[in-house]
Parts: sequence; structure tokens; C-alpha cells
Amino acid sequence: MTKRRRLALICAACVGLASSLVPLHVEAQKTERGKSLGAKLMCMCGCGQILTQCNHINCPSSGPMLKELDAHVVKGEADDLIVQDFVQEYGEKVLSAPPTKGFNSIAWYIPGVAFAIGLGIVITLIRLWRQRDVARLATASGAPAIPHTAASDLREVQLERARRQADRDTED
Amino acid sequence: MDLFGSYALLLAFAFALYAIFGGIAAIITRRPLLIKSARNAGFAVCVLIWMGIGSLWYLFFTDNFSMAYVAAHSNRALSPYYKFSALWSGQEGSLLFWSFLLSIYVFSALFAYRGKHPELMPYVGVVLAGVQIFFLTMNNFIASPFQVLVGPGAGGILHLATRADGSGLNPLLQYPEMAIHPPTLYSGYTGFTIPFAFALGALLGRYPGEKWIHLTRRWTMIAWAFQSAGILLGAHWAYAVLGWGGYWGWDPVENASLMPWLTGTAFLHSVIMQEKRGMMRVWNVWLVFLTFMLCILGTSLTRSGAVNSVHAFAESNIGHWFWGFLLLIVIVCVAAYLKNRDYLRSDNQLDSMLSRESSFLFNNLILLVACIAVLAGTLFPVLSEAVRGSKISVGPPFFNRVNIPIAMFLLFLTGVGPLLAWRKTSVESLRKNFGFPLIGGIVAAAIAVALGLREFYVTLCLLLSVFVTLTILGEFYRGARVISARTGSNIFSSAAQLTMRNTRRYGGYVVHFGMVLVFIGISGQAFNQDKQMDMSAGSEMTLGPYNLYLQNYDTTSEANYSAERATIDVEKNGRSVMMLYPTRRFYPSNQESGTMVAIASTLREDLYVVYAGTNPDTNLPVIHAYLNPLVKWIWLGGAVVVLGTILALLPNRQAVMVLSTAAAGQSAPVPGSAHAAPVSYSARSQLPDGHD
Repeated sequence: MTKRRRLALICAACVGLASSLVPLHVEAQKTERGKSLGAKLMCMCGCGQILTQCNHINCPSSGPMLKELDAHVVKGEADDLIVQDFVQEYGEKVLSAPPTKGFNSIAWYIPGVAFAIGLGIVITLIRLWRQRDVARLATASGAPAIPHTAASDLREVQLERARRQADRDTED
Repeated sequence: MDLFGSYALLLAFAFALYAIFGGIAAIITRRPLLIKSARNAGFAVCVLIWMGIGSLWYLFFTDNFSMAYVAAHSNRALSPYYKFSALWSGQEGSLLFWSFLLSIYVFSALFAYRGKHPELMPYVGVVLAGVQIFFLTMNNFIASPFQVLVGPGAGGILHLATRADGSGLNPLLQYPEMAIHPPTLYSGYTGFTIPFAFALGALLGRYPGEKWIHLTRRWTMIAWAFQSAGILLGAHWAYAVLGWGGYWGWDPVENASLMPWLTGTAFLHSVIMQEKRGMMRVWNVWLVFLTFMLCILGTSLTRSGAVNSVHAFAESNIGHWFWGFLLLIVIVCVAAYLKNRDYLRSDNQLDSMLSRESSFLFNNLILLVACIAVLAGTLFPVLSEAVRGSKISVGPPFFNRVNIPIAMFLLFLTGVGPLLAWRKTSVESLRKNFGFPLIGGIVAAAIAVALGLREFYVTLCLLLSVFVTLTILGEFYRGARVISARTGSNIFSSAAQLTMRNTRRYGGYVVHFGMVLVFIGISGQAFNQDKQMDMSAGSEMTLGPYNLYLQNYDTTSEANYSAERATIDVEKNGRSVMMLYPTRRFYPSNQESGTMVAIASTLREDLYVVYAGTNPDTNLPVIHAYLNPLVKWIWLGGAVVVLGTILALLPNRQAVMVLSTAAAGQSAPVPGSAHAAPVSYSARSQLPDGHD
């Protein structure tokens, strides 16, 4: 067998193998796409479950809806078009999450806005409380000195010891 | 017995009215006899409610089908176990059960503080009686469980009727956990009434200082532990009974239980700020109010039918009563706050951004945002319908997308919080404490990525879980090392001593570790697999490393149901490892079916097999198998959370030792201690237990 023939044979084998794998690949993609699209839709039987998770045997909704979804996927339609088709047929209620456009998109913004407002409040509070602390220290340093006595010395030593102890307790 | 129950509840209502009006009169007149009398009325209310619920249980156990509620939720063939739990399976019974649990809390609180805190307790008694009056109104006049059956007699006159047998219990509720899950969850909901009553009472009575916080801390922890356990038991029930392969579907009822848990968790953290630093008084009062309001809001949502739920077994038109009650609570709380807000003024000061105080602020922020996200998702369909006239669905994709980042941030704070000191943390100390846990987390994540993990959030969860675990272990190790050096005991014994010296702090760490386990378990969801097949005897299904052979399927008949059962031989690596028996039951009394899922659970994964029914086209059983990794970690984590809370509820051994030593002139040996050495204050001060 010449080199060229051997190469041709290998190429033919590769093409044959690849072509035999194509339907499998398409099937797998269809299943994954089906699952992914099914997760964007709700079952309309009233069970409140995701379309692909509805576990009612002979459910009047999920069975036909899944068949419809498969048919769209087999036709090779784009994801958005498939979802839109379901929305037109069943209304916006078929979507498992609020749309990102129009009034219903507000649902998506609420947590973010709440976080932003909350973060603003927390940061403002921290700044305010720190300023208050600085002001308190400034006032304390500006206060008239306590008369120096042996008792105040002792208190100072005790206070310093307590401070060091508190530092150790909280830092360790 | 029906009359006995009815009269008991009516009397309870009358006594509750006396407790509230007598209590108000006692507050105004300050007459001790009146205070005592109102408190005793509170006790009487509780005892009468117990009599009422006792009589309803009696009616269930004696198959009294002349009672509408018993006939609707029980039947003769029902096992005594389920007759017991059938009491809370419907609207009327569950409301009475709510009153019953509330009465246990009320009785305990009134009894525990009888003769103490005379300036506070009359207010608390009035608030508690107010809440009880609402539920007793429901029990007596709106949704009485003691209604009798009537039927038309001669001449169109209604006569008392009785049925030969009842309709039976909803099959979804005929699962052992249903005897535990609702009482646990309801104990959580009702338990938050006590901190609410103390907070409102303290505000109304301008009770000085942080005393009410100290008084209610344990009550809040008990309610929180029940709520946590109730939520997880509910998740486990959904997992084992509903047969859809999951445990949490962001259902409105699930969300309703999660919201007060989130604010309750925030309160348990921020209350430490008030105790330690006298900060955030207004915030804490409002967190308690909010938690109680969310308990009532969740109940309103699910009982009014405003939102649909697979968990709602007690839906009816009583929702507007709950909305009214909620509105009243809001008005009372706002009025009390506006009137006495000066009492809550606190001297908030913060030394540094890098401090325990800021970490608590961020922790509260994140928990509240999570609560708002859940509330927004739960209520948005109602809002959308009101504004646009059409309802939309807000399902798991929304909640997962919004809440997963929040949960990751929270997990991060769980690790960071304990590393920060009160007032100020030096950068050097932060580097020293952060270094090892952070490197550990990064190494774990790097190994997982090298082994093929490509899910971003799962990798992040792993990193943070290792980080938090190492942080917690570090905290135990550092403290135990000091004790070990002093006492010479081994590190484990020292860790145990350390824990018992500051149960609240180290119990809290155990709770954090439990949450880490829960997070790890939830992260396994990213790798769930499932397969559904019509299977004939001898056919095979492959799922992950398992081969499932359907050996046969048969039918059995029990007193209360008939069942179709599949016998499945499970092989792993060519070796038979177990037999599974997924079952589908049919209950003739109410013509309904239910699944009994077969679950083979390991720490690595759950093999979850459902007998989903028979395909009418092929006449073959439909088997749906799921491979759910790490689910067991969630239940394990839940158990650790509850254990940690119990630990945190125990009194500090250190405090007892110090007191006993002090009483003995600081020189007596410590009873029960491994080393009978005198305990001195200097020994205590060596321990890093000054911050929790």
C-alpha cells in the first residue's frame, strides 16, 4: 500500500467515523438545548414547576409542551424565537423568570437597587460614626487635665494594663 | 367532646380579653394585684387552649366523623401516627395548632419571669395577649375546627349528621416527617412572638438599657433553631415525597419560611453589637418587628391564595384577616417607635472600617438584601397582575441568579467576621489571621479546577467553604492552645473546655460550620443528572456509575392504600450493590396518588429513584432516576446547625466557675474541673474570649 493510498484510507475512515458521530452529536445537542430551553419555561398545568421538572405522568400540559419544544429544536430555530413562540401561545406566565424588558424587568433591579441603597447607608453610617469617634477623642484631648495624684497614676497603670489585655483578647 | 373544645376556646378568648384589658389597666394604675391577675389570666388562656387542642386530638383518635374537620382530614384506616398529625393538615386545625404552640411559649415566658421585671412584664403580657386574641378569634369565630356536620332533614330543616368514614388525609402528608416538620416550623414562627413582645413592651414601657435584649436572646435562638430545622425538614419532605428530584423550588411557602429566618439571623448578629457596644438600638428593635411581621406576612400570602404553592394545604379566604392583623401590627409598631424613639437613641461610634462592627453591618446588609430579593420574587407576580393585568411567573432561575451571589458574599463574611476584632483590626493581624485560611481555600479551588471543575460558583463556594472552615478551626485551635499550655491537657480536651467557657461564641462557630456544610451540599446541584425510561421487567437503565435493572413490578394492598412497587437491582462497577423499591401509592378514600421515592444516600451522592406511574401507551412502569451529588451534606449541615444552636444556648461553664470561686473567696478548687486548681481571674484573662 502506497503512502497516498494509506492516507486516503485514513481520511476515509475519519470521514466515516465523523459522519457516524454527527447524528449522535446532533441528538445530544438537541437534548441539552431542549433541557436548557425547558428550564426557561414553566409547566402550565398549575403545578408551578419548571417545564422539564414537571413530574406528573400524563400531565395535560408538560407532555404536549415538551413535544412542541422538541419540534422547535429539531427545526433548528433560534432560542429567542422558540421562547417568543411559547410566550405568544401561553402568555408571559410561561416564562420561568421575569423578562428583562418592560415593566416586569423591575423584578431584576429590586435586589440590586436594595443592595446599592443599603451599601450607601452602611458606608454613610460607618463614616458618620467614625467622625463622631474622632470628635469624641478631640473633645477628650481638649478637656482640662485631671490633677495628678498617686491614685490617678494607679488608675492610669490599671487602664493601660486593661487596654493591652483587651488588645490581646481581640487581636488573637 | 366537641362542645368541651369549643367552650374551652371561647373561655380562652374571654380570658385573653381580660389579660389584655386587665394588663392595660394594671400598667396605668400600677396596682400589683391587677398585674398579677392579668398575668394569671394569661396562664389560664394557655391551659384552656391546651384543653381545646386535647379535645380535638381526642375527636381524631375516636373517629368522630360528625365533626366536619375530622371527617375531612381523617378516616378509620388511617394509622394513629397520622391521626395525630392530621390535626394540623387543614386550615382550622393548623390555626389551632399555631395557638397551641404560641400558648406554650407564652406560658413559659410568663412563668419564667413571674415576679421579675415588674416595669416590663405587664407590657409584654399585653402584647402576648394581643397576639393570642387574634389567633383565638380565628379559632373561635372564623375557622373553628369544632364545626359539626349538618345535613338536610324533613321539611328542609338542617339536622346534625355523621359520616360512616372520613375522606382521609392528603397522601402528600402521609409521610413520617409530616409529624415533625410542621410543628418544628410553626415553633419557629410562633417563637418569634416572644422577642417581638419584649421589644415592643420595652419600647412602650421605655424599659431602660439593654436588659430586654439579654432576656430575649435565648428565646430568639430557640425560635431561630426551630425555624432552621423546620425549613430543612420541609426541604427534606419535598425531596422525599414530591418526587421531582429537588428539595428547594423557591415555592412561595418555602420563601415565606425563609424570609423571617433571614431577618432573624440578621438580628442574632446585630444584637451582639447592642450588647457589646450599645449600638444599633433602633435597628435591632425594627429587625425584631420585621421578623414577626414577615412571619405573619408569609402566613397571609399562603393562606389567602394570593400566591400558589404546592406546600399550601390550608388555603382559604381567611387571608384578609391576616392582612388586617399585619396592618394593625405595622401601625402599633410605627406608633410606638414614633412616640418613644428618643428612648432608642444610642451613641454609635466606630473606630475603624476594619472592625467586627463593620462586618456585622455588612452581614446585616446582605441578609436584608437576600430577604428583599426573596420577597420581591415572591410578590412580583401579584404586583405585575395588579399593574398590568396579567400574572407572570417568578421561578427558580430568577431566585438562583439573584441569590447565589448574595449567598457567596454571606459565606465570605462568615469567614471574615471572626477574624476581625472589636473596634479596630490592624492590617498585620488581618494578614496573619487571613493568610492560612485564604491560601487553603485558594489551593483547594486550584486543585478542583485542575481536576476538571469548571463551574464558577461551585469553585467559589469550595474556596470560601475551605476558607471559612479553616477560619473556624483556627479560632478553636488558638483558644485551645492557650488552655492546653496552661492546663497541660491535650488539644481536643482543651477545645472542649474552651467551647464550654464561651458557649455562645463557639456554638456560633459550630453553626457557621453547619452552614458551610449546607452550602457544600447545595453546590452539588450543579452536577445533577437524571434519566426517565419506560422499563419492562429485565430492562436496564444507566445513570452515572450505576446500572439499574428492573427485576419486576408488583402491586400490594394495605389498609389505607394500594401500591404499585418496582423492584430495582442497582449495580455499580458490575457488582450488585443494593435493591431499591420505588413505590406509587393510591389512596381510595380521597382518590389520590402519592409517590414513595427510593433514595440510596451517601456523602458522595444520592441515587434517587421514582416510580412515576404507568405509561398508558406502553403499559409499562415509568422509572425516573436522578443522581444528585452531595445532598446528604445539607441534612448533615442542618443537624450541625441545630447542635451548634443548642450548644450556644447552654450557660457558660466559665461564668459558673468564676462565681463559685468568687463565692469561696477565690481560692476553692473548681468542682468538676479536670485540674482542681484554683481559678483566678488572671487565668481567664489569658483566653481570647472577650469577643463573640
